[in-house]
Amino acid sequence: MTVVSAVQTVAADNGAAPPTRPPRAQRHAGWWRRVALRVVSLVALLALWQLLAVLTDNPTFIPSPGAVWDRLVQTSTTHDGVRGYSGHLLVEHLGVSLRRILIGSVVGVAAGLVLGLVMGTVAWVRVATEPVVTFVRALPPLAYFSLFIIWFGIDETPKLWLLSIAALPPVAVATASAVKAAPATLVEAARALGGGRWAVTRDVVLPHALPEIFTGIRLAVGIAYSSVVAAETINGVPGIGGMVRDAQRYSQTDVVVLGLFAIGLSGLLIDALLRTAEDRLVPWRGRS
Amino acid sequence: MSSNPDAAVEVRDVTHTYGSGSAAVTALGPVDLRVPPGAFLVIVGASGCGKTTLLRLIAGFERPTAGTVTAAGRPPVPGRNAGLVFQQPRLLPWKTVGGNVGLALRYAGVSRPERSRRVAALLDRVGLPHVAHRRTWQLSGGQQQRVAIARALAVDNPLLLLDEPFAALDALTRERLQEDLRQVSAESSRTCVFVTHSVDEAVFLGSRVIVLTRRPGRVALDLDVDLPRTGVEPDELRGSPEYAALRATIGHAVRAAAA
Repeated sequence: MTVVSAVQTVAADNGAAPPTRPPRAQRHAGWWRRVALRVVSLVALLALWQLLAVLTDNPTFIPSPGAVWDRLVQTSTTHDGVRGYSGHLLVEHLGVSLRRILIGSVVGVAAGLVLGLVMGTVAWVRVATEPVVTFVRALPPLAYFSLFIIWFGIDETPKLWLLSIAALPPVAVATASAVKAAPATLVEAARALGGGRWAVTRDVVLPHALPEIFTGIRLAVGIAYSSVVAAETINGVPGIGGMVRDAQRYSQTDVVVLGLFAIGLSGLLIDALLRTAEDRLVPWRGRS
Repeated sequence: MSSNPDAAVEVRDVTHTYGSGSAAVTALGPVDLRVPPGAFLVIVGASGCGKTTLLRLIAGFERPTAGTVTAAGRPPVPGRNAGLVFQQPRLLPWKTVGGNVGLALRYAGVSRPERSRRVAALLDRVGLPHVAHRRTWQLSGGQQQRVAIARALAVDNPLLLLDEPFAALDALTRERLQEDLRQVSAESSRTCVFVTHSVDEAVFLGSRVIVLTRRPGRVALDLDVDLPRTGVEPDELRGSPEYAALRATIGHAVRAAAA
């Protein structure tokens, strides 16, 4: 998953909120048409890929879909005494990467939430920290990775730091702006009912900010996803990024492509999970 | 200068100015006003006459630029001594209807079981039984405003402040809510301060009506309304000659004050 795709889906969510739903049969037809369209486009892409592979006739340049499939089977089993790739099965590579993404995202999101909340409510903190957050956000994660290697060595620590720092700014920025934009009308209503500062924050400011915070979280997870491959370029095995890196070094293009698929597809899955969570937790989205 | 603790609301020589320097706009004043406990005071005036400002001063959301405002002898604090109903319901969409009504009770430290019992009773009282578990957006505009009234009534504040609460509703719903509010206020000993631009609403609801001039708002007319508060059909009341006379007097004053 990429940052761009997260932004696009979010934009689509905001745009499409029909007040009345079409009848069930019509909805069903729409659903089938969408599925059919996706299957057709997928088949077309695979066919194009196969065609290009045959035309170029160079598996190091463009491996065929079949070759990538064989790699999938090979890296998922023990073959000729070799377990998966570099001694780890594909799911293990993926699992290690996902674990890094999970820990990095959780730490980054939690820190971003707290920072954003303080930035949105305390003016001088916002003035002091906003340039720093924007500065960090503008840096490519790989740029500060070298610094973390110098500070923390080449084990897990610098990777988790990288992902945490990369995930923090989008959440902090989204939270801060949403908290700052808390509607005065509802804040006043809560105060008129006897709510103190903390009660107003808990019952009005945070729930109101939740949809935007979710957008920030999805962006953050997307960034953590795209950074994990960078983080695993150094001592990254096991790890999907490390696998891709090694495969590139030995010109095993089919493994590279397989790694890309593993990252992309798991990213799609995670984003779908986050969206489901959002629908559950923010049922009032688009309502007033 | 000592404030009178016998008055539910006392406004003394109050002027209120927004902004400063050359951009300063005096919205209100000077105004003197004393509201005895149990009164239903309606403030009428054209748009921009400072009636909402006056209500916000009484609620404690604004401090007067000059003069003093007291409620039961003390400077008002939001959420302490008055329930407040706004022009829009201002319900929290992330809370259920019951959650909204119970908010003030929660802030007052009422336990959860006691809260849900009282929420049910409050919703019953505003004519909306069995909606506590519903989402706020599943209710109509009139129902939402009823919920807002129940929410403002939840804690036994001596004062109920309403800022054009029915202005955004259709005529039929508005009349029904006016009748219900008249009933609810007659049953309780609360002091009500109600802001409106509708002369009809003022005559129907108020035990006392004041008319404000246009900006800066001053009291142009202060009138006691001697219509019966209980035991009379709303339609009968609206059709009575006394009602028509009051309506004419106040209507005339409003037009004169706006000119």
